Amino acid sequence: MSDTMKPKVGIHGLTSCYGCQLRMASVQEILRVAQRFDIEYWSMLSSDGTIRHVDIAFVEGSVTTMADEEELKAIRENADVLVAVGSCAIHGGVQGMIFGEEYRKVFGEIYGNCTMDFEAKIAEPIHKFVKVDHNLPGCPPEEDEIMYYLATFAMGSYPEEKDYPVCAECRRNGYPCVLIERGEPCLGPLVQGAGSPRGCMVRFPCENLQGKGHGKGGDKSTDGDFWQAV
Amino acid sequence: MKIEREIRNDHIARIEGKAGVVVELGDEITAKINVTEGPRFFEMITRGKTYEDAATICSRICSFCSVPHKLTAVAVAEDALGVEVSEQTTILRDMLYFGNMVESHALHLYLFVAPDYLGYPSAFAMAEKYPQLMKHGLELKSYGAMVQSILGSREIHPENAVVGGFGKLPEKSDMERILKSGTEALQAAVATVDFFAEYEYPTHIDLPRNHLAIRPHRGYSVYGDGISASDGFSFDIEKYREFIQEEVVPHSFAKHSRYRESPFMVGALSRLINNSPLLDGTAKELLSTYRSLLREDNCFANNFAQAIEMVYFIEKINEMAERLTVKKEERVQPEASEGKGYAVTEAPRGLLIYEMELENGRVASLNVITPTAMFLPMMEVDVRNMAKGMWESGYKDPDLIGNKVEMTIRAYDPCISCSVHVVRL
Repeated sequence: MSDTMKPKVGIHGLTSCYGCQLRMASVQEILRVAQRFDIEYWSMLSSDGTIRHVDIAFVEGSVTTMADEEELKAIRENADVLVAVGSCAIHGGVQGMIFGEEYRKVFGEIYGNCTMDFEAKIAEPIHKFVKVDHNLPGCPPEEDEIMYYLATFAMGSYPEEKDYPVCAECRRNGYPCVLIERGEPCLGPLVQGAGSPRGCMVRFPCENLQGKGHGKGGDKSTDGDFWQAV
Repeated sequence: MKIEREIRNDHIARIEGKAGVVVELGDEITAKINVTEGPRFFEMITRGKTYEDAATICSRICSFCSVPHKLTAVAVAEDALGVEVSEQTTILRDMLYFGNMVESHALHLYLFVAPDYLGYPSAFAMAEKYPQLMKHGLELKSYGAMVQSILGSREIHPENAVVGGFGKLPEKSDMERILKSGTEALQAAVATVDFFAEYEYPTHIDLPRNHLAIRPHRGYSVYGDGISASDGFSFDIEKYREFIQEEVVPHSFAKHSRYRESPFMVGALSRLINNSPLLDGTAKELLSTYRSLLREDNCFANNFAQAIEMVYFIEKINEMAERLTVKKEERVQPEASEGKGYAVTEAPRGLLIYEMELENGRVASLNVITPTAMFLPMMEVDVRNMAKGMWESGYKDPDLIGNKVEMTIRAYDPCISCSVHVVRL
């Protein structure tokens, strides 16, 4: 494959723990991945920071400031395909658990009378602002999933999203269901499968932070609704 | 005041999270680190959740420091509930924590800092010319990640470390795997010290400062019961509010901290300044060889200090893996469901403080102070002095000054996600 055929990618972070970018940066084959793509933008790793046109943009993090929103729109305008990476981008993340009236109250309690130089807002997933083509779920996504997405893009194809819950993966791996064994309620069947269940594996209830099932054609009510259900 | 030139970068690359810097040069010189990453209200998010859920959520404050946040949240709940964990749990937690130190330091030194020293925009650009250097970096990173995956279930957001112990204990073969990679990792870490020892620290920013670090329980460790300062003062963690004050500033969603009214530093350099007599083994030897590089008045010494620490922590992990025969034991179940707790640990970037109140096993209040929030004011002082020093020595090129300003910021290894977790005072 000649250099001109390499897909151009941009990797971006909005408000998050940066775990999805870190997970992408720390896949075993990162140097070989870097050879298969032209990495046009990766602020966490490179000081060359202009947003240029790319074939695929990966975005982690939720929108919590006006600057996030503007950046996200610029990313979308410059990308043929946009992939939401991880719980914050797909569902709003843990910061999405504060919403509505409570947000204003909390913001006031913390910053008090100080007039901030930048504008902050309730954390929302990126599909509320731009069209998302693919979701790469997980908190953070598993290495195998990242490699699967990258591999399909490298071959000019696209990834299939999982249409089953995390419990299917637990059964497949032979992990006992921690909550059912204890007779406690479990929302696992609502939770998106994301490659490898990490909760039951260590005999601890799943944290379920990869969020609600979100497959194609799925219900797009997210963040707040999901947390209220939990 | 006449501003002759402004250096403005809204998005500093190669740090964790979103921050910018504005430097005004002229008769008066000012510097501001704008923390633009949006606030995430962890204190509110965790309120009313069980302490297990709270610990799981707190690890999401930051990915680079997810192990420190998880383990400190676990420690604070245990302190609140009066849970005493076994010797085996203590050792396994040390190993897990040290694994995070090695990975975090390796990522910072190789992916963020080394490109600065060698004049490349990124580690990818550097890899072709310096394959051996990148190999060392990736070896160290993978070693730290492996230790965390074995003990914590994965390298980012570990599920396995829980209140009272571990969900699943490691096997003998796991310890053997750690030992097997230990020798190579140690060699890579020693080479890292030699590499970073070659670089002279930039001038203009030499300034005496206070260093705060943990008062460890035993040895050069990350767990302790109080904080000591390089001014000779030391206090118990329960009294942290008397000595560390937080305030809101308009240009930062992260709060700024002061120790007895003054900016201060935390992190690898501060740990070595205050606690290096507790070092042993190869790290101690290397430090005595390069003693003059441990400069308490120059933040660039932090890079060197991180390299020394990697050597120490790898040797300790190896020692523990060799000595420990993991025996089956159950998690300690808390008897109480209420109480107030305090915990302090040393995250890779410095002191991490948690205070938690529990009622009916659920979080009534939580306060977290992260290392980056602590050193932000000191970082602003250094950034200003760097710009001022260069400007007054006749440098007028904003790119050149801007570049050195960013290097100064990177030397601290700031973790912006951590700093804007934002909890109430």
